[in-house]
Amino acid sequence: MKVVNKNRPGFTLTEILVVCGVSAIFLGTAIMLFTNFRQGYSRSENVAVLMQESALFIARLRTDLNNAVLSGPGSGNIEQQLQAFPDHLTFNIYSSRHGRILPVVYSYKRGKDGGSLARREADEAEKLLIKDHVASLTWQMQLEHFATGGSGTFRISLGIDLQLKTSSGKEKPFAIKTSLFPARLNRQLNNP
Amino acid sequence: MNKKEGRSGLSLIEIVLSMGILSLIMLPVFMTFSSGNVNIQVTESEFRAHTAALELMEQIVSLPFNLIKPGNYDSSQVVDGSQLANGPVLFKITPVDDLKPSLKIEEIKRDNKVVFKKITVKIGFPSARAADKTREFTLKTLVANESR
Repeated sequence: MKVVNKNRPGFTLTEILVVCGVSAIFLGTAIMLFTNFRQGYSRSENVAVLMQESALFIARLRTDLNNAVLSGPGSGNIEQQLQAFPDHLTFNIYSSRHGRILPVVYSYKRGKDGGSLARREADEAEKLLIKDHVASLTWQMQLEHFATGGSGTFRISLGIDLQLKTSSGKEKPFAIKTSLFPARLNRQLNNP
Repeated sequence: MNKKEGRSGLSLIEIVLSMGILSLIMLPVFMTFSSGNVNIQVTESEFRAHTAALELMEQIVSLPFNLIKPGNYDSSQVVDGSQLANGPVLFKITPVDDLKPSLKIEEIKRDNKVVFKKITVKIGFPSARAADKTREFTLKTLVANESR
């Protein structure tokens, strides 16, 4: 037995150590690359979720603003039509589902880890649009007046500055800033 | 010693070749991860261009029909506060880096009467895949003349 063992070819300790070292370096690099990609991917996946939430919210608000109408006959007070407060936003829309004019309220609740955005139509239950992801939100009613003879032309719009962040807060926030113009409401304001 | 010398192993060329093949196989696997990231950036830039296009489109559509004056406006003219057809209407544009908005308004006539105005909004934005290329997002709509 001893004789056979002695003659059997094998690797020397140095060879094995070198191979182990080299393969460790290769494996280490591969694993590092993989985790880097993985982290980058999950980061942009979170950003994609924020983007989707903001896109849905803005689309919802745009649809409502396109349906926004004057709140009642003879209501000349333009500022009353689109009321934007820091914590809520309210205006009247023509709801084709109900076949009448209804108030819509968007409310923004600041939270410790992030704010939430909800929408309520008339006296229905409030529906949550964005949960705990709002880092900051400002909306502002903007009224332009152009001198075009007579009483001039008004253009009302809603400026939105929205910042969303992930729950962990590690990734960079997703920010979107734009103005929305309620076409039907503007038409009504200029054609009393 | 004799036995050791006769031992056959892999030659350097064989090892280099096999590593090359291995890396070729692994490359697409890693590429899928980074392309996922790029896709999200593409979506983000498209979303920003789309938002900017709607903003420009809606503010024109919100004007009374006679104030939607025909003309061509390139990205140097479509800036916040600049005039639409010598005023009095001003553009209201949220400045976004790297976006190049342009606007075209045409009249569509029937029996010498303007029945429609065609509004074309184009937003140029940098491609997320190749930084030196730009892409374009186009939005068109018609506004009807409601006056009799």
